[in-house]
Amino acid sequence: MIISNNIDKSNYSNVWVVAELLSGKIQPVTHELIGAARSLADAKSSQVWVVVMGSNVEEKSDLLFAFGADKVIIVDDIRLSGFMDEIEAKMMLRLIDKYKPETVLYAGTTRGRALAPRVAVVANCGLTADCTELGIDPVNGDLLQTRPAFGGNIMATIRSSNHRPQMATVRPRVMKCPVPDLSRSGEIIRENIQDSDAIKIKRIIEIFHSDETAVNLGDAQIIISGGRGMKGPEGFKLLRKFAASLGSAVGASRAAVDAGWISYANQVGQTGQTVQTKIYISCGISGQIQHLVGMQSCDMIIAIDKNPDTPMMQLADIAVVGDLFEVIPEIMNEIPKL
Amino acid sequence: MKIVVCIKQVPATSEAKIDPVTKRIIREGLKAIMNPFDTYAVEEGVQLRDKFGGEVVVLSMGPEKALLSLREAISVGADRAILLSDRAFGGSDTWATSYTLAKAIKKIGDVDLVICGKQAIDGDTAQIGPGIAAHLDWLQATYVMEIEEANTKSINVKRMHEDGYDICELDFPAVLTVVKDINTPRIPTLKGRLASQKIEIPVWGPLDIGADIEKIGLDGSPTRVVKTGAPPPRNTVTKIIKGSPNDCAKQLVRELRLRSIL
Amino acid sequence: MQDHIKNKVYHVEILSPKQDSEKLEADLEVFGQKYNRVIESGYCVCITDNPMGYLAFQGTEIIEELGLTVYPEQVMIHLNTFHTKENLNNILDACKSIGIKYLLIISGDGSERLPKLQPSDIGAKGVESVTSVELLKYIKDEYPDTFTLGVAFNPYEPPEHEFDKLQRKFNAGASFIVTQPIIEKNNIVDELLEKYPDVHVIVEAWMSKRLYLLSDAVGYEIPEDTQFDPIETLKMLHKIYPACGVYLSILGFKTQYHLLKDIWV
Repeated sequence: MIISNNIDKSNYSNVWVVAELLSGKIQPVTHELIGAARSLADAKSSQVWVVVMGSNVEEKSDLLFAFGADKVIIVDDIRLSGFMDEIEAKMMLRLIDKYKPETVLYAGTTRGRALAPRVAVVANCGLTADCTELGIDPVNGDLLQTRPAFGGNIMATIRSSNHRPQMATVRPRVMKCPVPDLSRSGEIIRENIQDSDAIKIKRIIEIFHSDETAVNLGDAQIIISGGRGMKGPEGFKLLRKFAASLGSAVGASRAAVDAGWISYANQVGQTGQTVQTKIYISCGISGQIQHLVGMQSCDMIIAIDKNPDTPMMQLADIAVVGDLFEVIPEIMNEIPKL
Repeated sequence: MKIVVCIKQVPATSEAKIDPVTKRIIREGLKAIMNPFDTYAVEEGVQLRDKFGGEVVVLSMGPEKALLSLREAISVGADRAILLSDRAFGGSDTWATSYTLAKAIKKIGDVDLVICGKQAIDGDTAQIGPGIAAHLDWLQATYVMEIEEANTKSINVKRMHEDGYDICELDFPAVLTVVKDINTPRIPTLKGRLASQKIEIPVWGPLDIGADIEKIGLDGSPTRVVKTGAPPPRNTVTKIIKGSPNDCAKQLVRELRLRSIL
Repeated sequence: MQDHIKNKVYHVEILSPKQDSEKLEADLEVFGQKYNRVIESGYCVCITDNPMGYLAFQGTEIIEELGLTVYPEQVMIHLNTFHTKENLNNILDACKSIGIKYLLIISGDGSERLPKLQPSDIGAKGVESVTSVELLKYIKDEYPDTFTLGVAFNPYEPPEHEFDKLQRKFNAGASFIVTQPIIEKNNIVDELLEKYPDVHVIVEAWMSKRLYLLSDAVGYEIPEDTQFDPIETLKMLHKIYPACGVYLSILGFKTQYHLLKDIWV
């Protein structure tokens, strides 16, 4: 069933955010997306709507209004406990058909990235993944979607001129979380799953929640990486504590891996993994070219080292000169839990 | 079990050299490799076939040189391969690409399971797997880290989530996208590689798969890339923080607040 | 290994054909020709293991496929830690059955495509990652009295770390050393020879004119236009390190090979 996209663009307005839920709770990325949606909507004097789909959804819609939503569509159904992408996709398609949003934003999470393409295909509209910037074309009002490709080495700007809605996913911690305005209010719309949505579905047999999922390098927003300066496996114990306090992944230079202090799975660099995180904190890594190749596309590089003149300290945005084993515990004391 | 594994040939960005002036990866002349995530998909398909019987067909949409990656898949155990290649497919975004692959899968016929890698390292969209499932209106499971059980009618998979994982049962036909935790892809042997050179790989175009011309290639793509460019240059000014460890920590936190990182 | 040095047997490195080669049969033929030429000269063929993380075929596979003859004193195979356990055992079994005696055990270079040995695969305890040390110990334990094992020594790494690592390699069963490429008198190599006078040391000679390619190995930028004469350097290395063997990497088979017979005399 393909919804024809020979559409009249003027029939489509408002910016939607599909809320990201984990264990029934709305995640912070949703607020970040509402902030981004607000800017886009304001540029066109239109509204921000948030779609919340789940089972026993904790009704924090007042918070959603505070972050900038004008309307919240709630779809609450026992059949949505667990992540049921097929049902959510069919629901989204009916909502899109009914309310005709101009733009739909999803979180670039495992769920968002599974759901959005299903919707985009059937709705025959464009979807851009992992956008780092969203803007409005001043000439024709199209959504301009900017994203990195080739391991962060090029930035591409994408648009969908002839299809609506325009869809994009955005990863957590890319957009700034807006300051909530508790005086704001809005309208709640309740919509329901239809039986036809839930005909052909998978069955979720078990769900396991884990408080501590190992953050892997590829998905991490923050990486704390250690090199020869960590002096041994004990040094990496300290880094793991540091990483746990920030919810970040642990990386390593080749020297540390070759010395047997940490597993090769953590190696960043030419013969390891290439990463492009928001924040890369390098601890005792001198910065040989083979390592830099693997991480120089990171947004912010912080280096901590005794030696102020290493290539890594020179590349870094912030270079902290000091003894790792003294500075890191102090930083852990100062940084509040994120 | 009839399994189709979709693979993509991509530039080997990790082997790229850095331009000493711009400090950016030199993209020209990059070697082409099978998308690393797809090697896990191929391996999983081959393991399932070995366990349940059936066949593994590897499918790719790309230029002629993608034949090399298809042969690599055969050299590690896929039974046969098909290349979708035609000028008309050029300029496809993920919508048109997943449409094209879906049509080919329909043409192959009687497919139980489609396996894709999580994402391709050049585009990084992760949209093809779910896109194929949507075009075919089949069930999907993404970020699959383990196959728990399978039989001729259905499959139980473990899906990875940010807050843990779940186990779902999907009736065939279904589409899976897999992550690296699922297996360790085998390395082609010389014997396997030499044998794969003898296998013929058909090349299909739009007519072979009955594709609607308006849905393929540039015309079939709802998105357009309007420009590409280098990322903003790295800020070349380094903020240096020194002093006592406690001082350093305080200065760092202050600096991060100033830059709105915290 | 002592005989190699005494008898002035060059260790000649041949790279095995890459897996992504578009002319594999031709590459295999060239490999076979180089192999036989080295054997006929009385030298020792050294076959690499996925150097720089590029997928290439295994020396043992190629020897078997091409039906090449193995003279135990004239073949050395590199073996690194980027294999599955099954793979590793297959290679070691193959080496044993075709009569390979010399193995150069290195940590090696990884890449996205290559698996990696886990400590539990080889019964290594108390380490986070498998390095050449653990691999050495595994081979010594599982294949006693089968192979003569060598290790790498990198004079461009911080010496304290490197000598420390070297001692651990000896403790694990290494009996000869191959250094990273040396282009002049190197005081760390001198220190090595002083510290271990009874160990067979083979220095690597860089046979390519493009010295700047060594920038990665030595850890500092060598300008692209640096003038370098590999043959003269080789002659000099023999003079400076007469008690050492020599390992030739990137040897020009067409342009340089015929000169070798007159160099180490």
